Amino acid sequence: MADDKRGSLTGLTENEAKEFHGIFVTSFIVFTVIAIIAHFLVWQWRPWL
Amino acid sequence: MWRIWLLFDPRRALVALFTFLFVLALLIHFILLSTDRFNWLQGPAVSQAVTSEVLSSLPDRVA
Repeated sequence: MADDKRGSLTGLTENEAKEFHGIFVTSFIVFTVIAIIAHFLVWQWRPWL
Repeated sequence: MWRIWLLFDPRRALVALFTFLFVLALLIHFILLSTDRFNWLQGPAVSQAVTSEVLSSLPDRVA
């Protein structure tokens, strides 16, 4: 019910929240992939366990 | 899950997230630099005792 109104707590509409969430998830995945690659390279250099 | 952005302001959340990640990255990098094994700039620090031992075992050279 509250979702149908424009006035959410942050002032975002449902579509705006979905759009931002898509960008956020994509960015998070890119960041995670880069971090995994970096960790793989460091493990090749000097494993820490 | 997208409903989280109806609760938390994206701008503030991003600023907080980036600040946290930056401080965390800085902390981890400095911790690694402080260790012998993972210092990628200077490598392991050679202790004074080992250095003098190696130097004294070298043959004398004319300066």
